[in-house]
Amino acid sequence: MNSEHPTPPCCNSSGSGGHGGSGDAEVTLASITRRGILLVSGALFALAGLILAIPLVGYIIGPIMRRKEDQWVDIGALEDFPENQTLLVDFEDPDRRPWDGMTGKTSCYVRRLQGENFQVFSINCAHLGCPVHWFPESGLFMCPCHGGVYYEDGGRASGPPPRGLYEYAFRLEKGRMLVRAGHLPTLQDTMKETS
Amino acid sequence: MKRGWVLQTLNWFEHRLGMRDQVLEALNHPVPKNTGWWYVFGSASVTLLTIQLLTGVLLTMVYVPTPDLAYQTIEYISYEQFLGWYVRAVHSWSGNAMMVMVLLHMTQVYLWGAYKYPRELTWVVGCFLFVFLLGFLFSGQVLRFDSSSYWGIGVGAAMAGRVPLIGPALVHLLLGGETIGGETLSRFYALHVFVLPALLLGFLGIHLLLVMRQGVSAPPFPAKRTDKETYDKVYERELAEGEPFAPDPLAKDVIFSALIVLVVFVLAAVYGVGLNELPADPTIINANPRPDWPFLPLFALLSLCPPWMETFVILVLPVAGFAFLVSIPFVSGTGERSPWRRPVGTIGVVVGVVLMIVLGWLGAVAPWSPAMEAWSGTPIPERMVESLSPTQLVGAVVFQNKNCRNCHALDGQGGTRGPDLTTVATRLTKEELVRQVVQGGGNMPAYGKQLSSANVEALVAFLATLHPEGIAPAKPSVEPITGPLAGGDNAKDDKTEVARDQ
Amino acid sequence: MLDQALSFIVARGRPISIAAWCLCALLAGCGQPNRANQPLPPLDVMAFQPLFQENCAGCHGTTGQMGPAPPLNDALFLRVVTDQELNEVIKNGRPGTLMPGFGFNPGLTLSAKQVDVLVKGIRAEWPSSPREFSGTLPPYATDAKGDATRGAQAFALACARCHGAKGEGTDTAGAINDGAFLKLVSDQFLRRIVITGRPDLGMPDYRQQITEPEARALTDQEITDIVALLASWRTSDSFAQEPAPGATKP
Repeated sequence: MNSEHPTPPCCNSSGSGGHGGSGDAEVTLASITRRGILLVSGALFALAGLILAIPLVGYIIGPIMRRKEDQWVDIGALEDFPENQTLLVDFEDPDRRPWDGMTGKTSCYVRRLQGENFQVFSINCAHLGCPVHWFPESGLFMCPCHGGVYYEDGGRASGPPPRGLYEYAFRLEKGRMLVRAGHLPTLQDTMKETS
Repeated sequence: MKRGWVLQTLNWFEHRLGMRDQVLEALNHPVPKNTGWWYVFGSASVTLLTIQLLTGVLLTMVYVPTPDLAYQTIEYISYEQFLGWYVRAVHSWSGNAMMVMVLLHMTQVYLWGAYKYPRELTWVVGCFLFVFLLGFLFSGQVLRFDSSSYWGIGVGAAMAGRVPLIGPALVHLLLGGETIGGETLSRFYALHVFVLPALLLGFLGIHLLLVMRQGVSAPPFPAKRTDKETYDKVYERELAEGEPFAPDPLAKDVIFSALIVLVVFVLAAVYGVGLNELPADPTIINANPRPDWPFLPLFALLSLCPPWMETFVILVLPVAGFAFLVSIPFVSGTGERSPWRRPVGTIGVVVGVVLMIVLGWLGAVAPWSPAMEAWSGTPIPERMVESLSPTQLVGAVVFQNKNCRNCHALDGQGGTRGPDLTTVATRLTKEELVRQVVQGGGNMPAYGKQLSSANVEALVAFLATLHPEGIAPAKPSVEPITGPLAGGDNAKDDKTEVARDQ
Repeated sequence: MLDQALSFIVARGRPISIAAWCLCALLAGCGQPNRANQPLPPLDVMAFQPLFQENCAGCHGTTGQMGPAPPLNDALFLRVVTDQELNEVIKNGRPGTLMPGFGFNPGLTLSAKQVDVLVKGIRAEWPSSPREFSGTLPPYATDAKGDATRGAQAFALACARCHGAKGEGTDTAGAINDGAFLKLVSDQFLRRIVITGRPDLGMPDYRQQITEPEARALTDQEITDIVALLASWRTSDSFAQEPAPGATKP
């Protein structure tokens, strides 16, 4: 409502109290009906609540408002990854808290085909995020939750996953392997799959 | 003299609180006759809730909701703190018992038609209480912060991530950051310890207020229809013919609650609650995440439903289910209350319960999950090994090595995702076996790229031995396929089999 | 109904006995969790049995015998093989064969320490008495090149009785001239089986393979020659060219 104007007099007059309605004042107490008092004080309360609530809601949805960009993370030297093999590697999250403990780490699968031809997979199943297990003998990733299976190139083999494994962008720099990481991949928010 | 002192003290309080009349009214308010022992589940749930509040507060005195310490503090509670294990066990058993009581309560109220006019709002508030309870159970599992908790959050995030448009935002809201970490756990802690208790107690207050105000419904009788015009008068008469809440109906509530509490205490003391899983650690991928039992039906459904309806199951079904529960008193708020005169509703309950039990059982067994360790840890039955030729022996190693065992059992041992292959040779000929292995099919990946022709040949030589003594292996119904894979050295293998069969 | 329930509960001494039972259950503390029952992180498992059962039993058998893969619980095998060889094979597998490496990617497989535990455990679990095998034993592995022609003579002497003159198999033992079989096993595998036999499946070791009238043990040279003969039976695409997905680099 239009709470700006009447508010101070109302408060003052009610503060001075009583029934002493002097006819001189432009806004007399008598002119303020009970309904008016309720409306004005209610509006004031709502305004105060709103002013309080905006930052509090902002606090809660902070993680949405302040997205942290993925960053390049060093996951090892080039020679740590033998050709024609897929290895499980873990690295520290770029966005970690000091009290994160083990959960400040993330694992990924690094598949080196030949030379600088790599694929880096998220361990999170594309179905519902469970950790897929790599079986080098059959060249399959298997998920323990709902039985999703992927081929060694990350393509979907069978089970409920709607797509292949999420892939990290990677680049090689001075003999080091870097992947762009930093968030939990989900169906609509995959890893940025270009270098 | 002693009595006088007690009375004086009571009077002193009564003079200030002025609550005697309310208490007496609550105790003496009439309830309909013949309520029997069916009305005790609600009060038992409330009793268990008080235990939850009590033990929950005790646990927060030690538990630290940070990822680096949460699991350690639970270890401390379980192994070192005096009686800590017992408090934790009571919290766990009582929470699960509460879920059981609430489910029984809801089922009873539904079958008795007690949600009908004028108790629709009581039912609706109760539906919210049920949702809060589910929230408690999920967040409680997260607070354990073991591997199922960690990957459970991941599953929750993956589900939230499927919501159109705002999915990614929801994921970040849920996680409190980019990945599962400190803020994620704290969010669930705040939910479990502050938000949900406040909501639950608030709604429970309304629920109980409504129960007191609308009174307890009389047991249903066939043909005794509920009608908005006449019900109030009918109920008045039922109350007039009824009995005061104290002592008999109250005593039933108290006795049943006491029994349940005793059962919970004994279960907690005798079985306790162990630490059955590894701590949350994303670098340990040997995890086998499973939700707690109330969520097992959903877990099963997510594996069994076809992909095209998956997003529906994840996003629409829970909301639709809740809306369905809430809508019940508005769709059938009057009319017959007896379960015998409401066949659709009653059969619906039976079907629903059976469905939940079957889905829950499937979720617990999870036959669709590969047995991750079977290939290296589940031996080929010795009776099968005994009579194998060198090629067949190598084929058996191929069977293990290529992880076939993770999905296929032999003599019931191994994965159950695919069929048990103990007698596969009676079902498939060698040619069919080769085709299935190389091309896959059904839910089986194609192994053509993973297996050399020697692998396939040896593997099929082994599989072809898998038929019971005296029962001949499957014969091709058409001319056998000849080719580089199918032909081969079958003659020799067949010879050894014939030798064994004789 | 209510009266019955009440009188049941308050019947002589019942409350006391109920309370007593509850207290007993609590005091007994049988529900108290035991740290020993808590699962260990995979890399912290340092006991032989769980490691062996989870990683080896699938192919080598629960007791190290009667599996499709060569037995580890074999006195002669354990006499001729060295700890270093065991360690190397468990860690990196046998590239090109079906024996996978179990120690090249900790987190996915075993740590170096766990491989040591397996080697020590295999020795401790199935001790091999030196007295059982006197004299010089044929070495587990050899660099010597065998001769297939001489191998054929030794084969006729030692193997043909059960495996047939051309290795085509008899009622007693299966074929060993099978292309798939020979492609999937290494020369070292063949050598090992000729030396140790498969006692668990009834195949004698190198000392009993030559029967009456000659009845003597095979010599190291004869073993090498037999392996050369079997290797010569492999068809044109030799076993070394077999792709082995995921196998460790040599």
